[in-house]
Amino acid sequence: MNFNKIFIIYKKELLDLMRDRRTVITSLILPIVLYPLLMIGFSSMMSRQELKLEKQEMVIYVNDNVLNISSVSIEDELKKVENFQIMEEVMIFEKTTFLDLLEENSIQVLIDIQDSVSTSGFQVLNVSVYYNLSNDKSSLAHEKIVDIIKDIEQNLVGERLSKININIEILNAVEIKDENIAPPEKMMSFALGKILPYLLIILTISGASVIASDLVAGEKERGTLETILVSAACRNELVIGKYLTIITMSIVTVLLNLFSMYITFSHIFSQAGQAVDGLQLPLGNFALILLIMLPLITLFSAILLSISTYSRNIKEAHSYQMPLIFGSIMLSMVSFLPGFELNLGFALIPIVNFSLLIRDIMLSNYNMMYLFIVVGSTLVLDIIMVSLSIRLFNNETVLFRTVEEKSLKFWGKQKKDIFSTQFVVIFFLVILFALYYFGSSWQSKELMSGLIKTELLIILLPVILLLRISRSDIKKSLRLNPVKPVNFLLVILAAIPVIILAAIFGQLINLIYPISESYMEAMKNLVTVQERGIWFSIFVIGILPGICEETMFRGYMLNAFRKKGFWPAIVIAAVLFGIFHLDLFRLLPVTLLGIWMGFLALKANSLYLAIFAHALNNCLAIVFVNYSDKIPFLEKLVSEENIPFWYAIPAFLTLYAIFASIKKVNKEIVFEE
Amino acid sequence: MIVAKNLTKVFIQKDGEELYAVNDLSFTANKGEIVVLLGVNGAGKTTCMRMLSTVLQPTSGTAIMEGFDLKNNPQKVRANLGFLSGDTGLYSRLTAREVITYFARLYDVENAKIKSRITELAELLDMHDFLDKKIDLLSTGMKQKVSIARSIIHDPPVMIFDEPTAGLDILTAKNIVSFIHKCKTDGKCVLFSTHIMREAERIADRIVIIHEGKILAEGSWEEFKKETGMHDLDDIFIHFVNKIREVGNELQ
Repeated sequence: MNFNKIFIIYKKELLDLMRDRRTVITSLILPIVLYPLLMIGFSSMMSRQELKLEKQEMVIYVNDNVLNISSVSIEDELKKVENFQIMEEVMIFEKTTFLDLLEENSIQVLIDIQDSVSTSGFQVLNVSVYYNLSNDKSSLAHEKIVDIIKDIEQNLVGERLSKININIEILNAVEIKDENIAPPEKMMSFALGKILPYLLIILTISGASVIASDLVAGEKERGTLETILVSAACRNELVIGKYLTIITMSIVTVLLNLFSMYITFSHIFSQAGQAVDGLQLPLGNFALILLIMLPLITLFSAILLSISTYSRNIKEAHSYQMPLIFGSIMLSMVSFLPGFELNLGFALIPIVNFSLLIRDIMLSNYNMMYLFIVVGSTLVLDIIMVSLSIRLFNNETVLFRTVEEKSLKFWGKQKKDIFSTQFVVIFFLVILFALYYFGSSWQSKELMSGLIKTELLIILLPVILLLRISRSDIKKSLRLNPVKPVNFLLVILAAIPVIILAAIFGQLINLIYPISESYMEAMKNLVTVQERGIWFSIFVIGILPGICEETMFRGYMLNAFRKKGFWPAIVIAAVLFGIFHLDLFRLLPVTLLGIWMGFLALKANSLYLAIFAHALNNCLAIVFVNYSDKIPFLEKLVSEENIPFWYAIPAFLTLYAIFASIKKVNKEIVFEE
Repeated sequence: MIVAKNLTKVFIQKDGEELYAVNDLSFTANKGEIVVLLGVNGAGKTTCMRMLSTVLQPTSGTAIMEGFDLKNNPQKVRANLGFLSGDTGLYSRLTAREVITYFARLYDVENAKIKSRITELAELLDMHDFLDKKIDLLSTGMKQKVSIARSIIHDPPVMIFDEPTAGLDILTAKNIVSFIHKCKTDGKCVLFSTHIMREAERIADRIVIIHEGKILAEGSWEEFKKETGMHDLDDIFIHFVNKIREVGNELQ
């Protein structure tokens, strides 16, 4: 690779971008103009709006059923308030009419005064203040009225106490004084820390996306890609040159954003007179944020460059960028959520880690170890993504992708292939949505009957219908073939090592992403035998999912993906199986289980073996949870205590031996792609 | 000089079928010679040109260009090659001079030489008036001139033209044709692809007729006439296509 050429490409790309109005506006002008406009405009609008609200007339109706000195004083006090207009009393008071008026904002507050007598014989005024929280004017009036009534109450109590010669000060037994120890900088950092990560991440990705799509997909669209490919520059030089361009522009965007934000906030605070009290924005924190943004910028740039390389034109690049941008927006919002603290688990989730880390840095309250984990894990992803970009750029089928993808029409005149990848993916998504929308609500109504309905109607039935409608050979498609009985024995032998490995695996995950107590409780409840007895549980939670889910994943889907090879087919079907459980905590263990069952189904060329393994796994879970106290070894597995990690070694060796035996037993079965 | 040896390119289609876009193509183009690849649309001309310019990797076979193997030494091949096609784009936000300079630098032309070389080319192609205008503002003819300048800025010994006149008006096309002749008199090796028989007839020293990825015939215009007894290149082309069909039918 020639660095001089990379630099030539880099310089040309920058020059080219600087002449593009769209890029200049989104990357350079927008950050400079946005904050002053947004913050100053917004804050002045807010204060002006509040002022306007204060001056507006508010209509209040007082329905006084008591009419003594105290109750009348309420109305008298309200009349003194500027902008309060007390409505004339009506002849016949109908509450519902007034509540309607309140709802349509014709009046802002309705006060209904009744009285009662307390157990010790004192008169109590029961003042109901009706207002409309969804209306600013009504809320403001309510606030003022409550203050006034509290004052009146204070006076009344004073009068009563003085009548029996007690000083009112007797009531001041405890005086609460709020003392906020956070210095003003910290207060501001706290507020900024919530919004800054979100703004920075979004602005970085949106700026970089415009540039990245122009750099490769744009070249394809304008027909310049071939010109540059026949030049003396090699492809890696081109990729790196373009990559550096995106990074540079993104850094400039972030820098401008931070600078503009810093100036704007300083301006707002100096206007508010706080600068006099020594309030300073934490400049050092801003610098550190810029520094740690670098790995994130390089990661975004690499992903966006890959997308741009894959896309045929700018429009296509933009549509492929959408999920990335949308996902980033969602993940970056984590800084707004209270209670989310950066820990080992979050430090490994891209974007979430940066969002939380930037917030902590703004509070000068960050953990150095997590900072290194966040930066380090991002750099690892970065290397992966850059090498992907380079590979894509060197792949001519990607670079010259011209063939139109098949349209989404399935049931046309021709007989469609229900085993094509595209069809399987769409089918899976439809089933997933059905599971989410219907399955969940059935199960929340009544767990057991909900499970039965889900398994039969959402999982098994669609697959059977699909195979019937497409006139596929069900026996062949689902691999309903006989199995050598010894296989079942091997699967039973494998159950214990599989469970030990799964438990250790669960422990490892628990270290990084601690599972909540309530979640564990819910999982335990699921497999706890309910009133209908153990056999019913074994059927609904053990056997039925074994049959239905295996028909879908190891039957239909594994068959559809078999063109991709033995292991790829197993892994893809297993990952879909993992996603299907709609449970982040169980994603990995379930996927591993899926791989085990996929291996069984393909090696023995029979769905029956996979069904058996699946049912066995689920049934054992039921047995363990319900009968562990009777079997000492099981107790250890199920109890809160951790299994020693060295258990994994014999478990793995045993499982490996069983793997080998299954291969040997079924060696005459040839895998057909 | 170009020596293509059994060049083959297979594309795997969506349905998994193999498509032989170029099938075992061997030919030679010498210094000071214009060789025309003639074939209908989809015959495999562009794929062949793209392999020779190292944009696509051959599935099998190779080509030697100025002594460099395009499989082992693609960068050296590109450095010795000027490539021009009818639809190659230019960077619309840059000026003509900036585009040409950019490519000159990528081709390792010395900085001191770039300026004089651009002046020389501007003279040759009559580009002085628009050298500092942005590409966006240029007419198709002007753009094509910039493309030509871009492709020969490094004075390559081999020129490849992939249907360079497609979609151009008659005046611009004429400019290109005269430029190709100039390349020949300068002693360059020229490979030119077209589906227009008349164009081939006019400029070729040798014609390679390709159809469905394979060579049907190779020779000069005069040799073709003698072999077939026909005078019109259209007829000669159809004659060769029919001949290969007959052979195919017999084989079946």
